[in-house]
Amino acid sequence: MKHKLAISIVSAVLFLLIGIITVSAQGSDKAILSAPTSTPAAAADRVVTTTVKSTAKAKVDTCYDCHAELLDKHPKVAADWKDSVHGAAGVSCADCHGGDPTLDQMKTSMSAAAGFIGVPDRTKTPEICGACHSNVERMRQYNLPTDQYSKYKDSVHGAKLAEGVTQVAICSDCHGSHAIKKASDPTADVYPLNVPALCSRCHSDAKMMEPFNIPTNQFDVYKSSVHGEALLGKQDVRAPNCASCHGSHDAKPPTSAEVVNVCGKCHTATQNYYEQSLHSQLKEAAPKCWTCHGNHDVTKPDENMFTHTASTEPVCTTCHDIQTLDLIVDKAKFANPDDRRCDTCHHQDSWIYEQVLSLKSAMTVADLAYKQGDVMIAEAIGRGMIMNDAESRLAEARTSLISARAAIHTTKLTEVTKLTDKADASAKEAQQMASDKLGENLFRREAMFVAMGVIITNIGILAVVRRRLYKELE
Amino acid sequence: MDRTNPEKPSGLFNGIVDWMDERFQVRTLVQSALHVKIPRKAKTFYLGGITMFLFMVQVVTGSLLALYYQPTPDRAYDSVMFIMSNVNFGWLIRSIHSWGANLMIVSVVLHLLRVFFQGVYKRPRELTWVAGMFLLIVTLVFGFTGYLLPWDQRAYWATTVGTEIAGAMPFVGEFALNFLRSGPDITASTLSRFFGMHTLWLPMTLAAMLLVHLVLFHQQGIADPTKPVSRAKPDASATPEPEGKLLPFFPHYLLSEAIAWYVILGILIILASLWPVGLEAKANALQTPAHVKPEWYFLFLYQLLKFVPRVAGVLAPIVAIPLLVLLPFFDRNPELKPRKRLFAVIIGLLTVAGIIGLTIWGQFS
Amino acid sequence: MESTTSATRPDKKLVSRRGFSRFLLGFSFISTVAGAIIPILGYLLPPPSANAGNGGRVLVGTTKDIPIGQGKVVPVAGKPVMVINSNDGVHAFSAICTHLGCICMYDPVRKMIICPCHDGQFNPVTGVVVSGPPPKPLASIAVSVDGDNIFIGEA
Ligand code: HEM
Ligand code: FES
Repeated sequence: MKHKLAISIVSAVLFLLIGIITVSAQGSDKAILSAPTSTPAAAADRVVTTTVKSTAKAKVDTCYDCHAELLDKHPKVAADWKDSVHGAAGVSCADCHGGDPTLDQMKTSMSAAAGFIGVPDRTKTPEICGACHSNVERMRQYNLPTDQYSKYKDSVHGAKLAEGVTQVAICSDCHGSHAIKKASDPTADVYPLNVPALCSRCHSDAKMMEPFNIPTNQFDVYKSSVHGEALLGKQDVRAPNCASCHGSHDAKPPTSAEVVNVCGKCHTATQNYYEQSLHSQLKEAAPKCWTCHGNHDVTKPDENMFTHTASTEPVCTTCHDIQTLDLIVDKAKFANPDDRRCDTCHHQDSWIYEQVLSLKSAMTVADLAYKQGDVMIAEAIGRGMIMNDAESRLAEARTSLISARAAIHTTKLTEVTKLTDKADASAKEAQQMASDKLGENLFRREAMFVAMGVIITNIGILAVVRRRLYKELE
Repeated sequence: MDRTNPEKPSGLFNGIVDWMDERFQVRTLVQSALHVKIPRKAKTFYLGGITMFLFMVQVVTGSLLALYYQPTPDRAYDSVMFIMSNVNFGWLIRSIHSWGANLMIVSVVLHLLRVFFQGVYKRPRELTWVAGMFLLIVTLVFGFTGYLLPWDQRAYWATTVGTEIAGAMPFVGEFALNFLRSGPDITASTLSRFFGMHTLWLPMTLAAMLLVHLVLFHQQGIADPTKPVSRAKPDASATPEPEGKLLPFFPHYLLSEAIAWYVILGILIILASLWPVGLEAKANALQTPAHVKPEWYFLFLYQLLKFVPRVAGVLAPIVAIPLLVLLPFFDRNPELKPRKRLFAVIIGLLTVAGIIGLTIWGQFS
Repeated sequence: MESTTSATRPDKKLVSRRGFSRFLLGFSFISTVAGAIIPILGYLLPPPSANAGNGGRVLVGTTKDIPIGQGKVVPVAGKPVMVINSNDGVHAFSAICTHLGCICMYDPVRKMIICPCHDGQFNPVTGVVVSGPPPKPLASIAVSVDGDNIFIGEA
């Protein structure tokens, strides 16, 4: 406390000596010692300049003093600011709104002459924020990046804004204007768990999206996807939110060329496998992650993704350009999750269909062996047997099985069967261990019956002898 | 099994007995121990004997477990796992030991209740009762110390909360906690301490107390719960009971006792075969499992501590145990029939109901 | 009892009856003792697995099997253990991934413990998560090297 006071006094003295400020020595003095709104002392030596012209940088903040006392929304705005990161870091009203906070007359302090601009124009806002947030010197102490503004200019939001479309998202739409919070603050709208709801505020609004002709169901679809369930259901912040794939400041839909890298950010092993496949070498015609898994609606993959359940007529134009006979991928054909199957392209008469079936059966066999092992172990555990060995053998099986699932992305049968064979073998071993234990359990029960036989015989004998003894007693 | 008959000196057994008899009069010894008579009206439900049988079972199975068990945090869990999965009949021995411990608690408590409700702790059996109370405490401590030994999650955390009960005592709490755990935390030295208690101190103490208990019981004979306490000097009241109202302790009573033991043995084997004891994951001090609870026979205390002020909850047993130990000295009502000692019986019933209620509550909360 | 027996001794029938009782009790005694002795003897026979008595340690291999820069998963008491011989000594961890329990492997090229299931990666010296979904580090396990021999568990 004392320390802080010393710093304030020293810095105040400095201010006086350099004489940067226009305030009279007496006024400044008073501000330091008595003004309730004096910004934290540490901010005193920081000179903030923004594109907004404010004529004075001082410890007096008549904006706050008045607005905190006004009616309606004003006290809330003042309080929001005070609790915000900006309030704490000493970024004042005038830094964004202009004006002169040292003057205590509204007419002068909020005059154009004093640089007052009122509510910043939507098209100007990113620039105002960017003035500080692009400044490396200024952001270093907060460990904040400085590329948001340039990224924003590249985003769809930013580009549209530059065209004068003002309903696109600007900084304050996501971060708030006065009550700005850290992204790591769980109550912030930009906290990972809250991002989908934040984006959907606009993107689920059909009326708002109408001029842009884009769908509005992404949030609903996302919510029930594996990703949405992990993020919103299990509150797992590591699960991807909208920004993980689209970027935040640089928001844009990933292009077909990018998607493999986007998904591969997390699914590295799968990406490695995919890149070994013929699929990945098809360039434009390549099926990408989303061809089979969808984008917002990714669900848990399973063995049914190989072939259609009912037989379907293949449509040539799904994969072939009828004119040039080149290979293509008609993404629209994969919009329906039921059609995201290998045999959508590799139809029953194609020579790869055979391979699809072999992959499917290898996976199904291994999966079944694993599941059976699981059931048997559970049963043995239920009977009180200790199943550690079998459990770790089954974990081996599962490891190979999951690896095999990832290896499907190579589309190479030998790669996959290497792993499924391993999974199958481990699972069978685990099954064997479980059935041994179940056999031992049966033996225990049989032995118990023998022991009970002996005990009951003995009780019988003793009862007979006892009866005789009591008779003798009479 | 053998009634000695000096006029029938044939057979190896008799030969050996004769040889011993010549040297230390073994026949007289055994006869004086066994050939007593007990009132036919006495009803023990064989509970004391069953407890004793279970103690013997525990001694045998426990000594066997000690052959493979290794009392260090690093090895304890693995060695128990080894007993369960590699040693022949290891699962059986460990399961019997575990079920035996639980049954022993049940039977010792039932034994106490039978003694209490029959009122047979009264003069001249005050000291038998006091010795019995010590046996009860030792039995509970047996259970408490044994529970930690497998060093799995359940063991570790049940001991953590169990020792915390002791830590809640006023003034001496911290000392008690440190004493039990051999330090502020449950560590290797806690395990050594519990192991030493469980396998050396407690069996010796229990055996010694049991000897006292049985000698007293032998000297006094079984009480007749239908007759009020006599205030007369013992020798003055030495008018012998008519023969018809008496039953030879040996072989008649002991034979029934043996039948009871077989029944208990059968129950033990069924429990151990159908519900062998398990082993949870190895103890991990950094990961508290979802439902930490002490053993069921301490649950009532644990539950009590949850809703009465801590100090009161801990003081309750501290006050109750000495009261219970000294019960025969301040319960001076000479009557034994429940109807004639309503106050004691009602207090007893309320206590039992309270403990059962708290235990059930604790189980489901 | 004494009086009853002496009074009835001359009676042949009773003597044989008593003989029968004795026979029954003898059977009872012997069957009980046998029933108890069999499991006890079985229990006392040292079981086949050698690991338990090994001074508390389990020999999992030699530094020749696992040279510097290599790692291997070995079963210890039925559980997979990752043993890594790195430049700064031998380390051991539970090989069970903290994510969903797959069994990790050592990747000598990346010098990383990796989980093949969801590509979790762990530091091979400390066991902490480097990347991927695992929420917690791999549990480290005591390991010691005696000459060439690598042992798991404290002595
Ligand atoms: C390890 C624990 C115990 C063992 C092994 C044990 C053993 C026995 C045995 C074998 C008897 C002979 C009568 C019968 O079988 O009921 C007996 C009697 C008795 N026990 Fe215990 N007992 C134990 C604990 C207790 C406890 C906790 C109490 C009460 C606090 C108690 C109080 C008595 C009394 C008063 C008698 C005499 C009863 C009579 O004369 O009818 N005992 N005990
Ligand atoms: S199980 Fe290891 S990363 Fe998922």
